[in-house]
Amino acid sequence: MSKKKEKGLYLSDRPPLTPLKAVLLTISYVLLFFYVFVVVWPLAQIVFSSFNGSQTQYIRIGGSYAFSLKHFKYLFEETYFLNWVVNTIVIAVATALLTLLFVSFTGYAYSRYRFKGRKASLMAIMLIQTIPSFVGIAAFYTMHSIISAVIPGFSRQMFLVLIYAGGGIASNTFILKGYIDSISTELDDAARIDGCGNLQVYRLVIMPIVRPMLAIIALWSFIGPFLDYMLPSILLSDPKQYTLATGLYTLITDVRNMHQPVFAAGGLLTALPIIILFIALQNQLVSGLASGAVKG
Amino acid sequence: MRYGTTIVDDIGNEHPRRNLRLADMGVLEERLASEPKENVAEIRSELRSLARGNHDYEKSLADVRAEEKSFLAKAPERKKDFEKALTDSDDKIRTWNLGAMESAVRAEFYERHLELSYDFELLAKKHRMLAEQLPEIANKRRKTLDELHEVTGELERAKKRDQTQAVADFRQYRESRLKQRDEEKSHLKKLHKEGQISSKAFANEKRARDLAAAEDIRSKKQLLPLDMLTDRVRYLKHRLRHDEKQAMTVLHSDIADLRRKTPIEISKRFPWVSYLTIPIPGLGQLMLGQRIKSIFFFIGTLYAYLIAIPYALGRGNYRGQGVFGLVSLAEGASRLDRSVIFMIEGVIAIILLMIAFLIFYQSFRDVRKNEKRMIQGIRINNWFETRTAASRSGFPYFASAPSALITLFIVLLPIAVTVLISFTNYDPSHQSKFNWIGLANYKQIFLGQGIAGGPFWLITGWTLIWTLVATSLAIFIGFALALLVNQDRVYGKRFFRTIYLLPWAVPAFITIMFFSIMFSPDGPLTNLLQQLTGEIINVKNSPWGTRIVLILLQGWLGSSYVFLLCTGILQSIPGDLYEAANIDGATGFQQTRHITIPILLFQTAPLMIGQYTFNFNNFSIIYLFNGGGPFEPSKYGNLAGSSDLLISYIYKLTVQKQFQGIGAAITMIVSLVLIFFTWIGFSRSKSFKEEKL
Repeated sequence: MSKKKEKGLYLSDRPPLTPLKAVLLTISYVLLFFYVFVVVWPLAQIVFSSFNGSQTQYIRIGGSYAFSLKHFKYLFEETYFLNWVVNTIVIAVATALLTLLFVSFTGYAYSRYRFKGRKASLMAIMLIQTIPSFVGIAAFYTMHSIISAVIPGFSRQMFLVLIYAGGGIASNTFILKGYIDSISTELDDAARIDGCGNLQVYRLVIMPIVRPMLAIIALWSFIGPFLDYMLPSILLSDPKQYTLATGLYTLITDVRNMHQPVFAAGGLLTALPIIILFIALQNQLVSGLASGAVKG
Repeated sequence: MRYGTTIVDDIGNEHPRRNLRLADMGVLEERLASEPKENVAEIRSELRSLARGNHDYEKSLADVRAEEKSFLAKAPERKKDFEKALTDSDDKIRTWNLGAMESAVRAEFYERHLELSYDFELLAKKHRMLAEQLPEIANKRRKTLDELHEVTGELERAKKRDQTQAVADFRQYRESRLKQRDEEKSHLKKLHKEGQISSKAFANEKRARDLAAAEDIRSKKQLLPLDMLTDRVRYLKHRLRHDEKQAMTVLHSDIADLRRKTPIEISKRFPWVSYLTIPIPGLGQLMLGQRIKSIFFFIGTLYAYLIAIPYALGRGNYRGQGVFGLVSLAEGASRLDRSVIFMIEGVIAIILLMIAFLIFYQSFRDVRKNEKRMIQGIRINNWFETRTAASRSGFPYFASAPSALITLFIVLLPIAVTVLISFTNYDPSHQSKFNWIGLANYKQIFLGQGIAGGPFWLITGWTLIWTLVATSLAIFIGFALALLVNQDRVYGKRFFRTIYLLPWAVPAFITIMFFSIMFSPDGPLTNLLQQLTGEIINVKNSPWGTRIVLILLQGWLGSSYVFLLCTGILQSIPGDLYEAANIDGATGFQQTRHITIPILLFQTAPLMIGQYTFNFNNFSIIYLFNGGGPFEPSKYGNLAGSSDLLISYIYKLTVQKQFQGIGAAITMIVSLVLIFFTWIGFSRSKSFKEEKL
């Protein structure tokens, strides 16, 4: 310290940097920037290849580069990309709304009411939550043909929405219940004294407070269909009905239809809005996941 | 059950019997138990005669009932008289006043016969109350109506008057107030520029000024004559509706209160109606006088007899035969009648039957409870009381019913079907028709026999290796990055955080597919590897190459989430811990080891366990990267590849190769193991131990 004082006033809170620490810090920076490279390089490849006009069916590296939008053009004109986008968004929105509707009721009921069979059904919910969603794959296809025989307009996409929403009820009920538990019941009592009914208490008192958690639940239910490949690949057979995941996959598996750069373009367009969403809401998304798991 | 000499009402007070016949019978029955045997025959015959209704009390009661009948028959005549006395023109007020006058007369009538029956006492009290309260309610409405009339008139007059002056005044006020607000804001801006207040305080204060100004302007606007009167009219109209609703609720609760305090006497001693209602829910409720409630149960009856039972017997099925389909599995039926349809419809039939059974049972229980209460002396709920009780204690059931139904049919039904399929020989040669084969599938799996069961243990081994190594790698990378980024002296934390978030934010299927492209023969990364090592390494053709790349890729993908989580926790560790450690002379490394890492591990443990189960079931990365390949027919047979996990193997068996039976059996094993581990984790968790469910 005294040495520093001679040169000028040392103002930092931290102890001065020793040579060993300086070395360690340098190593840290090297590691951090190396990992930045590891993360960015593959993602940058997606961006480059989607704009590289000199590649046709396959993606090469180190080849010539010519900026062009032809892959995007192909994506919109030769594939069902727009259909896939619309399908995915419709499925995602419907899933999110349906989940919110179901979960609002159950989360509120389980948190605020003591009724017969409550504990037993909570246990059941716990166990159902752990059963993976793939368990039913053998039955889904036939179930759909039975339901659509009874309800003629019942499309495969609607069934997909029901599976997503139904599968999410158990875990999301638990998350929301835990969140509502943390709200003081005195607020409810006050509202009840003022003459609110069951639903009014939820709508006017509870819902405004749990809105952040509802938003997280809605967001995760919304993102789910964007990320899932398995269920749509089982249920949807017509390429026009595909979601983004199943649709884009056809661009790199089918030899006749192989267009890797076009896949990169589609992937870029799909990823961008989700990346922006994640970066903007990263704290809420992480805390939502965390609370769900801690409660579980 | 004996009659006894007293009865008990709903709040537990004892009342003497007023039905003298039953009271006498009660006395006789008590004597029967205590007196010597020689009197028994005599008492018995007396009891029998009483049971037939031979008692003076019955005669006097019948007289009063006849009187009551003629009295009630005269009600229309009385109504005409009352109407002459009415002066008010409002319909509701007229009805209430009429009701009050009639109630007064009735109360007087019943009060003359109080000692005869508790029913009369209840009626007397009820009508007395109506006679008192209805006029009050009517008066209140009259007052509000008068006021409304007056205010409406005032509003009309105000509309005709010139309002320009008032409006101009208001506008002037608004402008001056907005000006004042802007001045305040510019002052704040100056303060902010000079550095006297922080940006956050500046934003908050600006918002506060906006709100204050808006509030002032709104309250000033409400003082404008037209606005004020319009508001007043709206308020009074609301009060008309609201007051009436409230008054009726109070009235009904008061009546319910009377009903609770006044017992009921019936000669029934055995709850036979409840047994009568077992086959027909709703009948018993109707017989006990709960008419509206019985309608709901009758709907349940219709459901049971028109939907559930016919469906279970095979009527109205899509193709199957109801529950019988579970036994026959479409044996001998036409080619289109596939066994799996019969199986699913059998399960649906069982679910429908279970719901029907629940309705039957609930109805029986409901009637039996009410009948027993009536025998005891308690009046059962009328519709108002039922509705109130249902909205309070029934709410959770109504609220979760839709979710329960969806879960039943979308989640539990497929699970049940999978369980059943695992006991059948549903395979490529039995696609249309299959049979029950007991535990043969499970045997094949455990012994590793057959085409489908053969590779089971190999795949299980790789699945376990994959789960442990890939998840641990991701956790390690995420941990390390979080520790590195969150060092004191590292700058650009925000930049690193945003970059490291990317693998999580980009939909995984896109990155996996893209890596798959890059590792394909002649793909960019294959070329890169060739330049680095000088050999042609085709990752996708080498089992261990694929496996290692998959693990690295999952490390890349999964570390992001762990990193974010750890960063969040690191930021929430209180700084005093480190300060204290510093004072005690701990080095940076010691601080990390003894403060940071324990807190981090402790707080993230449940989520990390979640990461392991996630990877155990991580279908997309395996399937989308290399389709589970490369194939090694000598070891794995034709159905699985060397990087297949159990889940992708199940997918291939069930969806692609049509070995649904074995696939279902593997699914069952996997699910049971997962449930078991989750259950262990859960039963050790805090919320379970503290019974805080």
